[in-house]
Amino acid sequence: MKMINVKDLTFSYKKGKQALHGLNFTVNDGEIFGFLGPNGSGKSTTQKILTGILKGHGGEVSLFGQDIAGVHTQEFFQKIGVLFEFPYLYANLSAVDNLNYFSSFYPRNQLRNVDELLDELEFKKDFLKKPVSSYSKGMRQRVSMARALLSNPKLLFLDEPTSGLDPSGAVLFRRIIEEERKKGTTVFLTTHNMQDADLLCDRVAFIAGGNIVALDTPGHLKEQNSSQSILVSYLYRGKRKERTMELSEMEGGVRFPHDEILSIHSGEPTLEDVFIQYTGRGLSE
Amino acid sequence: MKGFRALLKKDVWLMAAGKFFPMSLVFLILYTLYVNFGYVRFMEEPIYQVYLYDPQGTQGDASRLLHRVDSLEEMDAALLHDANAVGIDASTGEAQLILYGRTEEIDRHRADYALSLLEPSGSERAKVIGSNTPEQKARKEITCELLFFEIAAVGFLGIAAILFKEKSMGVIRVHAVLPIQKNLFLLSKLLLFLLCDLIFALLLTLLGVGVRDAVSLLPQVLLQTALLSLIMALTGLVCALLLKDFRQFTLAYLVIAIFAATPVFLVANTAVKLDWIRFHPFYHIYMGLKNAYFEMQEANIGYYLGCLAGIAVLFAAARYMFGREMRREG
Repeated sequence: MKMINVKDLTFSYKKGKQALHGLNFTVNDGEIFGFLGPNGSGKSTTQKILTGILKGHGGEVSLFGQDIAGVHTQEFFQKIGVLFEFPYLYANLSAVDNLNYFSSFYPRNQLRNVDELLDELEFKKDFLKKPVSSYSKGMRQRVSMARALLSNPKLLFLDEPTSGLDPSGAVLFRRIIEEERKKGTTVFLTTHNMQDADLLCDRVAFIAGGNIVALDTPGHLKEQNSSQSILVSYLYRGKRKERTMELSEMEGGVRFPHDEILSIHSGEPTLEDVFIQYTGRGLSE
Repeated sequence: MKGFRALLKKDVWLMAAGKFFPMSLVFLILYTLYVNFGYVRFMEEPIYQVYLYDPQGTQGDASRLLHRVDSLEEMDAALLHDANAVGIDASTGEAQLILYGRTEEIDRHRADYALSLLEPSGSERAKVIGSNTPEQKARKEITCELLFFEIAAVGFLGIAAILFKEKSMGVIRVHAVLPIQKNLFLLSKLLLFLLCDLIFALLLTLLGVGVRDAVSLLPQVLLQTALLSLIMALTGLVCALLLKDFRQFTLAYLVIAIFAATPVFLVANTAVKLDWIRFHPFYHIYMGLKNAYFEMQEANIGYYLGCLAGIAVLFAAARYMFGREMRREG
């Protein structure tokens, strides 16, 4: 089943200032779909259209198998979870009070336990009752993630989920997103963090200037744009040497004279390299 | 309903965190003290004293409120002592007024009063336009002014301050993806501020006007308060959603306070006349409240339709601005 189906999606903020130029993509049920692009490329606009915040788009968009025009009802918002790029929370309320407040809009039987959820997100217990204004950015991001997951959403929109987190926090968030996938949650991940996309996404779409310039699995994208060469470092007669070879040359093993192979690098491009190849610009620009 | 209750609870908490309730209580106490121990006392003006010099006894029907003097010197001394007093020299058989000049309007008022005392049973009777004692009149006037000021200035500022706080925390954007009707976010604030204003109006009227006099005028006062409260709260919401930060809002607040409220107070309570004031919406709202205090409310469909239309337009504007705020980038 297609969770999200987008056909010829266009959008203009003002006359003559088109932000999206006919996007086409689908997101399958239970898939983690990465939407990658630099600032101003149209990522947030697309997410806002899908979550019903922006109206007045062109083309066809359906979610949960229904046309988007009639889908943004209260039942729809009960089925989705949204993590914004910035942790929007009531600063004078504690994490628990914030989550209790936001949970009061959902049916009780659909809700996760607030304490368990914060525990899963490794939230510091000492801060449970303290106001959000005293939290670090990473702690606020954890509370925001808890808010997005609180209602057990079937479709999860994540905008830069690991932004503001230290490396261990980023690893934790990736593990939590993986667990959501195992539960069957569909994830629409908007990011310019290549590592997140590479490690988490089943497929990624590159968006630049309001157009999707490539869409495939991270592995395929890297393979297709690989130079198919490998770099071998070795020792021969006491000297360290390097040799670039075609992948096919390696099929019969290392045939050139050497005493010891030190390392073999595949030379596979990173997702960022691939993105630059497609768009001519980096993700952080 | 569950979601609306949560919104109400959250807004009560925001109001409490912003010290709205203790501030309202302090204002209520201050206003009550001012009405009862300040305004009513220093507005208690004695009636003009009128002195009559009538050596030939030509003014036989004169009122007993006149003070008869035996000489012009005695009258001069009395007028010198009390500059508000009026003297009548009837020594030639014809009444001639002697008074220290003040403003033209007050001089005419004093002269008319003095001459009326010469013929208390004359055919020119003053029209009775109300049965309030001077103290009742003063209490109603000042209570009305303070209530108007409280709702127009303080309430307006209160609702805007709360919304600015939510705006700065970015939480309005979160409500865009919550399973609630977006109108409820605005309606919960309007309902709370309306309730607070009605309770404030009820208490201030009881404490300012007095329980006995307040009972009959309260229904109309509360109706006018509700209209003013909704208009001001919606204006506060629109301003808070439209303007970027609290500094910009302060400017808008000054504009509204100076250019909107000042001419209304001037025309309604002083001798200042402004021809264009009838086009000023706040003038009609203020007069609606004042008429309610003096129980002079005449059914005016046009006024109520105008208020309702204003509320509808402001609500539509607030909804539009709220949608824009939800779509805004972080």
